[in-house]
Amino acid sequence: MNLLKPHSIWQGERLFILLMLAPAMALLFAFTIAPFAISVWLSFTDYLLSRPPARFIGLSNYIQLFTSAAFWSAFWISVLFTTLTTLVETVIGVAIATLLVGARRTGGFLRTIYMLPLAVTPIAIIFTFRMMFNPGLGIINYLFRLIGLPPQDWLGDSTMAMISLVTVDVWQWTPLTLLIVAGGLAALPTEPLEAARIDGATGWQSFRYVTLPMLMPFVALAVLFRAVDAFKTFDLIYVLTGGGPGTSTTTLNVMAFKQAIEFTELGRGSATAIIVMIIITLASQFFLRRSKLLTVPEVGA
Amino acid sequence: MKSVLRQGVLWVFALWTVFPIYWLLNTSLKMPLDVTARPPTFIFAPTFANYTAMLHDPAIIGFFVTTLIVAVGTTIFTVLLSTPAAYVLARFRFRGNTDIGFWILSSRFTPPVAMLIPFFVMFEMTGLLNTYAGLIIAHVAINLSMGVWLMRSFFMGLPKELEEAASLDGASPLKTFLSVILPISRTGIAAIAILTFLFTWNEFLFSLVLGGSLPTVAVGLYKFIGYEQIEWGHLSAAAIIMLLPVLAILLLFQKHLVQGLTMGAVK
Repeated sequence: MNLLKPHSIWQGERLFILLMLAPAMALLFAFTIAPFAISVWLSFTDYLLSRPPARFIGLSNYIQLFTSAAFWSAFWISVLFTTLTTLVETVIGVAIATLLVGARRTGGFLRTIYMLPLAVTPIAIIFTFRMMFNPGLGIINYLFRLIGLPPQDWLGDSTMAMISLVTVDVWQWTPLTLLIVAGGLAALPTEPLEAARIDGATGWQSFRYVTLPMLMPFVALAVLFRAVDAFKTFDLIYVLTGGGPGTSTTTLNVMAFKQAIEFTELGRGSATAIIVMIIITLASQFFLRRSKLLTVPEVGA
Repeated sequence: MKSVLRQGVLWVFALWTVFPIYWLLNTSLKMPLDVTARPPTFIFAPTFANYTAMLHDPAIIGFFVTTLIVAVGTTIFTVLLSTPAAYVLARFRFRGNTDIGFWILSSRFTPPVAMLIPFFVMFEMTGLLNTYAGLIIAHVAINLSMGVWLMRSFFMGLPKELEEAASLDGASPLKTFLSVILPISRTGIAAIAILTFLFTWNEFLFSLVLGGSLPTVAVGLYKFIGYEQIEWGHLSAAAIIMLLPVLAILLLFQKHLVQGLTMGAVK
């Protein structure tokens, strides 16, 4: 009889855990695992929305993608967009975060301003940039003329369209890098910097040889976050350029959307989306190993 | 000298950050003639005509009502589902706990389009396309992992003595959770509620594909961008109205926003 009590408590606890977890887990299963499985299955079929019964066609979708010029063009455009945005955002983000540490008086106010782009509705901002990029009536070409630069066809020219997309992405997401790096700076010990100052190091020297090495895990985290999100970018590209002109800004993600939703080739689109996911997973695993990111105590805590 | 340079750079970056929002506001207060004026005008007689036009348009009001219903519904369900699960994940040791944690985090790496296609197929079969229920389900699915993850780190920060004291008093785990833990977790719950609301309010892709004929503001705005090219004043006013709750959230809950965007990696 004595055994009954602890046993029943243990039983109760088990039931408690199950009851607390079940609703969220059921939903996560039904709406993340199951859709993922459906996606994988669809990618092996020729499912067209207009011609319902999906037929299994093995690896055909993947083979067709890997042998098509459009796929490789979209792949390299994705890589280019991801590299450019991550690079620019990291450089500006680290620079501003470092400068912000010294600005005690205005820091809090400026920080709130810097956070604006992270909160504002992307569609509203993309619309704003579309107005500003307008070749004839837009404010940007007006400012260009004012300082003696030739006006540009911001969204109509292939090269300029990529530059415009990178500009808006940099506007919107540099603050995230800035925040992560600023969080890191606030957590750094001050002794090494003091020591460097006593040893007569200049501002740049102590940043380059003392602060930056200690900051690297946070920079790496920011790079990972930004690169993953940049590779997944959809709203910005789809609404600002629609992947054009031509296919000059069609990334893999935009291509997957167009195949699946616009052309209703759900099988083909799923295959492209699965490839995007595999690329992101492999690249971030590789990056995590290389950067020893998981040694940062804050990550995942 | 150095500090002047520092302040200069910081204020230039602030100007660059604010300018598009300023320009949107500026355009929303212009008459059509001022909107298309060349060169663009910075100083003009402001008008609220665009706002009155937008607020008297039943279609626009409809977009806002839809967005509000979807965002509030999503917030309620996300909080109700993520809080208990997060508590158990934070406090109890059982087989599979860390697997679930990893699975939740890995959802950040999934491209939205990969989730969207099966949702589209499932909703098409079950008739959930263009329904409030469908949109709420989709947005709960998008936000649930973030909610569980952040709530889990919130619960991990609470002192363990709370449960120990309650269990000495003979309270069951469920009673402890309901009457000891939940009352002191209001700030954590508020944080995920605010974030879920904001992310749902701003969401575009799923709303576009799963609710094209039940448009949220983002989708409505997108559709207008296409064929109402020159009505910039009207669209700007609608966009500014859409930004109002967002700005309020930013000013009041800045810290929570940072945590949500970085999955709690930055406090």
